[in-house]
Amino acid sequence: MTAYLDVDVRPILRAGGEPFSAIMAALERLEQGQGVRLYAPFKPVPLFAVMADKGFAHSANAMEGGEWEVLFTPAAAKPAQVAALSNGFNFGAWPEPRVKLDNRDLEPPEPMVRILAAADKLEPGETLSALLRREPVFLFPQLERRGFRWLGGFASDGATYELTVRAPS
Amino acid sequence: MIGGNISRWTMTYFAAALTWLLAALALMAAGIGHPATDVAAPDTLVLVHVICVGWLSTAMCGALFQFVPVLLAKPLFSERLALPALGLLTAGLIALLAGFMALGGRLPSAPWLLPLGAVLLVAGFGLVIVDLGLTAWLRPTGPARFVLVGLASLCTTVTFGAVFAFALAGWAGPVGDAVLARGIPLHATAGLGGWLTLTAMGVSYRLLSMFMLAPDVEDRQSRQTLAAGGLAVAAAVGGGAFAIGLGMGLNAVFSVAALLGLTCAALYGRDVAGVFRSRKRHHLELNMRMAMLSFASLAGTAVLGVALVSMGTLPLHLGAFAFLTVFGWLSGLVLAKLYKIVAFLTWLETYGPVMGRAATPRVQDLAAEQRATKWFAIYYLAVWAGTLALLAGEPSAFRIAAAAMTVGVIGIIHEIIRIRRLEDVAPPLRLPAGSVAPHLLFAKT
Repeated sequence: MTAYLDVDVRPILRAGGEPFSAIMAALERLEQGQGVRLYAPFKPVPLFAVMADKGFAHSANAMEGGEWEVLFTPAAAKPAQVAALSNGFNFGAWPEPRVKLDNRDLEPPEPMVRILAAADKLEPGETLSALLRREPVFLFPQLERRGFRWLGGFASDGATYELTVRAPS
Repeated sequence: MIGGNISRWTMTYFAAALTWLLAALALMAAGIGHPATDVAAPDTLVLVHVICVGWLSTAMCGALFQFVPVLLAKPLFSERLALPALGLLTAGLIALLAGFMALGGRLPSAPWLLPLGAVLLVAGFGLVIVDLGLTAWLRPTGPARFVLVGLASLCTTVTFGAVFAFALAGWAGPVGDAVLARGIPLHATAGLGGWLTLTAMGVSYRLLSMFMLAPDVEDRQSRQTLAAGGLAVAAAVGGGAFAIGLGMGLNAVFSVAALLGLTCAALYGRDVAGVFRSRKRHHLELNMRMAMLSFASLAGTAVLGVALVSMGTLPLHLGAFAFLTVFGWLSGLVLAKLYKIVAFLTWLETYGPVMGRAATPRVQDLAAEQRATKWFAIYYLAVWAGTLALLAGEPSAFRIAAAAMTVGVIGIIHEIIRIRRLEDVAPPLRLPAGSVAPHLLFAKT
């Protein structure tokens, strides 16, 4: 039976903070074979790829109020059983990205131009994901001004920045 | 909000800085200050402070207000301090210059001018240091450490300068007089080495890797470079102050500082070469090619320093050494980066709001690199010729070089104004619906 370390990023996100570093810090505290039980106010889709790189499988479970419980289990261990989706009630969940951009080898500011162009075509509530070489600090104010929300952080290789952008619903 | 907003007053800082640069070049072309007069003469003091405070420090502060939040991905501690700081710095510099001119008999004697200038400059730099220092202190990573050490050096420089100003007015007592008599090399090292050079290095790391698509310089490496540079400044200033206190000579202290300084320059060269090697963008833009000439000038400064010391002629040629440091390395780098930064910020300000919704030009479409190249070439050739003229003791040749530098800088400023006014953008793309033309002197957003 896998043991799980609880990480609740809901207060961080509610305060407008950036949860990625808290999650990465938790990973460093894990013992051999231990997994992470993450609580988030939305389905943290971009995190799944990051954690897969680090050797964790995920299983996500929508809770009441649109919040999510996600179990990250070391790939070698047997995933614990999680309750199935309770009732399909997923207000606030971030859907799988409709568009995936790999902007890693584009010359700046092309990555930003393409993300804004693609974001403008999203339907309300839809998301897009993008891979970048660095934190797009000049993009954030533009996204914010247009009412988009975003979640991003460096992947485990430290060289790829994974960004998910969600259109206002 | 995460840093990355456009700093409202950065263009104002740049405009003020470039105005002071033109003033400095006019003084040099007119033959006012060194080499026509002694390095320590009042006219030279006017010239040196127009260059170091008016041009370099003002440009650096403007760039830092924009890029410290970007380096840290944190908002500036306060957006509201930038403009009052610029006002205080400008007023303080004018009072200081008037004080020097009174000292040299060009204005009626007014001993209070220098202390007044010092107080205003302390207040202006104080606002800059508090604003940027508190911002960087909250997340002191990578290049931000350079900025912190640079700001600490700025504190030291300004403190020495204020003591000098009060001592020159006769208001600082015997201790002030002793500091004034021997402390000038400390003031200059902290200012040129600690504040301007280390800060320029720190900011350049991020700008180089950002504009060339290279991974950031490893923290471990940049830390070594900073340690060598920080120790060099600390050895010169701390050791120098100690030696002055004991009434000893400064030679031993400055030998140690020079060795550390050389180490810092060599490590910086290694870091920059690494960025160039690992870059993904193979075509080098104008600002990068010109920055390379500035790095070459830094290397030239190191070689010149070693040569002059080994021949025992550094005191004689201090002017040439300082000139190459200030105009080849620092001013060259700042001009090359200004050219790119103004284009980038203007592009972001004008087209950011409509990006993805309308066709917009690329950043490079705002600049006419081919036309600008010749102005930069004239500038650098004139700087190197000016250095040789100083070494050869040819004041007239130096004035011709200064005039040529003025031509180059006027050309560069003209290009920067054209960028800001979007004059090189093809009309159909210039102002798509929803975009607003930028103001020349400040950002509207």
